[in-house]
Amino acid sequence: MKLVVKGARIVSPSEIAENDILIENGLIKKIAKDIKDPSAKTLDARGKYALPGFIDMHTHLRTPGREDEETIETGSRAAVKGGFTTILCMPNTEPAIDNYEIALRIRKEAEKIGLLDIFPVGAITKQRQGKELSEFGQLKKAGCLALSDDGSPVEDPSLLRKALEYAKLFDLLIISHCEDLSLSGGGILRESELTAKSGFSYIPEIAESVIVAREIELARFLEAKIHLAHISTNRSIELIKRAKKDAIRVSAESCPHYFSLSLEDIAKNFDSNYKVNPPIGTKEDRQAICKALASDIIDCIATDHAPHTFLEKEGTFYEAAFGMIGLETAFALSLRLVKERIINLEKLADKLSYAPSRILGLSDRGLIEEGRRADIAIVDLDKTWTLTEEKISSKSKNTPFLNQAFEGCVEYTLYKGKIVYKYTDDHIR
Amino acid sequence: MSEWSRKHLLGLSEMSKEEIEAILDSAKAFKEISKRQVKKVPALRGKTVVNLFFEASTRTKTSFELAAKRLSADVVNFSSKGSSLEKGETILDTLRNLEAYSVDIFVIRHNHSKAPFYLSTRTQASVINAGDGLNEHPTQALLDMFTVRERLGKLKGLKVAIVGDILHSRVARSNIWGFSKFSSQVWVCAPPTLIPKYYSCLPVKITYSLKEALSGADVVIMLRVQKERQSQMFFPSQREYSEFFSLNEENAKLLKEHSLVMHPGPVNWDVEIASCLKEKVQNLILEQVNNGLAVRMAVLYLLSIGKKYEVGS
Amino acid sequence: MEYKEKSKIIDSQEICRALKRLAHQILEKNPNPANLALIGIQRRGVFLAKRIQDIISHIKHVDVPLGVIDITLYRDDLTAVGPAPLVRQTQIEFDISTKVVVLVDDVLYTGRTIRCALDEIMDFGRPKRIELAVLIDRGHRELPIRADFVGKNIPTASSEVVEVKVQELDGKDEVVILEKNNE
Repeated sequence: MKLVVKGARIVSPSEIAENDILIENGLIKKIAKDIKDPSAKTLDARGKYALPGFIDMHTHLRTPGREDEETIETGSRAAVKGGFTTILCMPNTEPAIDNYEIALRIRKEAEKIGLLDIFPVGAITKQRQGKELSEFGQLKKAGCLALSDDGSPVEDPSLLRKALEYAKLFDLLIISHCEDLSLSGGGILRESELTAKSGFSYIPEIAESVIVAREIELARFLEAKIHLAHISTNRSIELIKRAKKDAIRVSAESCPHYFSLSLEDIAKNFDSNYKVNPPIGTKEDRQAICKALASDIIDCIATDHAPHTFLEKEGTFYEAAFGMIGLETAFALSLRLVKERIINLEKLADKLSYAPSRILGLSDRGLIEEGRRADIAIVDLDKTWTLTEEKISSKSKNTPFLNQAFEGCVEYTLYKGKIVYKYTDDHIR
Repeated sequence: MSEWSRKHLLGLSEMSKEEIEAILDSAKAFKEISKRQVKKVPALRGKTVVNLFFEASTRTKTSFELAAKRLSADVVNFSSKGSSLEKGETILDTLRNLEAYSVDIFVIRHNHSKAPFYLSTRTQASVINAGDGLNEHPTQALLDMFTVRERLGKLKGLKVAIVGDILHSRVARSNIWGFSKFSSQVWVCAPPTLIPKYYSCLPVKITYSLKEALSGADVVIMLRVQKERQSQMFFPSQREYSEFFSLNEENAKLLKEHSLVMHPGPVNWDVEIASCLKEKVQNLILEQVNNGLAVRMAVLYLLSIGKKYEVGS
Repeated sequence: MEYKEKSKIIDSQEICRALKRLAHQILEKNPNPANLALIGIQRRGVFLAKRIQDIISHIKHVDVPLGVIDITLYRDDLTAVGPAPLVRQTQIEFDISTKVVVLVDDVLYTGRTIRCALDEIMDFGRPKRIELAVLIDRGHRELPIRADFVGKNIPTASSEVVEVKVQELDGKDEVVILEKNNE
């Protein structure tokens, strides 16, 4: 099976160059001008851009337990539609992904569907209870690259210390959900002028930053790696900046909703689809996140794709569950940063692909480079489209971007050289 | 303003001074009805008012019920303690269910901020906010303002001091929006633990000194302090709280001759107000109850009569 | 709908004379003013009632009690009106049950306002009798109601509007006929 991608402008973190790509056996065989191979099929990508297939370090596929929200299959379809070729799914499932069998089952099922690579993230502690460590070695064997109790922090710092130390044995990445539960308890909106005016129960910014500070100190002391999930506040960014200056091995992600939205958007109608944890911040936070992406204080963009059924999102802002879906809008929202000249397209390729591949140690992907895997997103930067419920491939439709117009879309997603997604105007699900 | 066209009463933050005045002016006319031999007018004959209370309340519910009855409306009370979700039903389900009875007005109390707003976007009926979470309690503030206007003859240029649990008070917030629209200066006074961090974004002056709050105040609104705030560590003990934040014979001297002391009730005597002031204060508190009825009649009337369109909020 | 002024039918002097005549007629029918009470209908009826009260006081040297009612809450078209009309003060601070109540309004037209006023007065008690005094009777009754005392009968077309202006509200006393502007 051979394929030539013709005439795409190939984006790498350092440059953009127009070339053909020859793909053979799922790998990028050659990148050059005017590749002619009569035995290969061709994909006309003139005028389009080719980015390395996106890698999402943070999704929720709700399997096992909440297949009414998302399944491996619907999650896979949503991911490839968003240009993703590798995703990590978090272990806050029912039961939690805290053992070999469940982790392996997810790996296997994803392979069977075969649209992209899905790596389960193992739970740091058994049943994510924050009491006993789960079997890291077994989880590694089942295919886990990282561990997290996402949805909750590991509250006990001495337990987290042991987790960080023990994880070194298997080179597993610890991903921290930074939230001090006693500070955030019962809150639903970022503590701000909006909550002062409207009386909503609130989550203060320090609920995140005090844990960010704690994780940084643990990482420093233990000389361990730690990855901070869904960073949402200006103050956290300042702490991470300082940590990086001190050469502490901390990496961080933020999500499209944190750099696209602020409290002003929520105040318009208090649509429960804006309810996420950590909560959407102020305009200043939003600007700080944009800046931190440009300056690499925040290493990568992750979606925190969190599907919920219509019923779970119905009701008042209080009643609704936390979370929004994000796989299908991540690229278009990130592209807005490029259009607003906050980052360039090369940087976007870094944030969505190369940086997460480095953080996860996946050296076989993350770049369009000879010898790497042919995981490629071919995108049109100008095509406009509108996100409607019918177009969403995810099983859940909980997004505040519903019925909004976007500029720029994924035209083709290639996974190991195979076209796993192709844009059509009427979007076959 | 000669006519009313707002469909819902959700909060004073979004209302104009003229609209507030229209309610207060009407309330003056409605107050008279309760003095008649037959305390009932036919204005809302054939209208259905549902009191939809998701939070315990007797005072506000009684007041709305009587107000609606004196206007000849049919009134249904629906109370549900705790979250309706616990019964597997969302508040929207509850509303839809009751709406099938061709309801004209929902009077809604809910422990979630903006719940009445949420429901107002999903019903044909008018919605009156009877208290939503810690957000607003507009009719309570309107009756406070009505009482002040009746007693002091104006709402402009007053010093209004609100003392007590500001953090958990929707009454404080509504009064701040309301009084500030009439160029009165509202002060809030409480221990720092009971004032939200970003409260200074509201049109309000903040002080931790009761003396400063009371000095020269034309109106003092003492808020109820729930017993559980102590166990939640907002202050170490009731004794200490009342030492620094209760109105007593001594600090009452800082007030003016004409100053009004109000309380949304029920009062914890000797916690918020020293019991030796009971005689002085109680009459006005009872008058507030009476005025509350008039204000709620006015609101029910204005919202249920005529064609409505939604005024941008 | 726009209206234009068609003609002035009564000037201030004539209003003055008409009110005097009304006061005399009321006293003629009710020789004992101790039983009398006046109730003006909001808004212009209130000022006319006040003036009648003054005239009676001048003639008889007694103060006839004066009340005010707003009939808005008794209207039969409340469900049909546009925005809610604002309700004005009703104030009857005397016991009406021993009184002959004379209702005062500016214009008697369909009779619906008077029906409201009658119902409302009954909610204050049971007066001995209710009589009706109006400055203008323009005809076109829709209910079996008639005035006991009429300042002036003015035949009108239903397309016309009779507007009474009073010094206290409008800066001058006069009665004009307006007509729908069809241009």
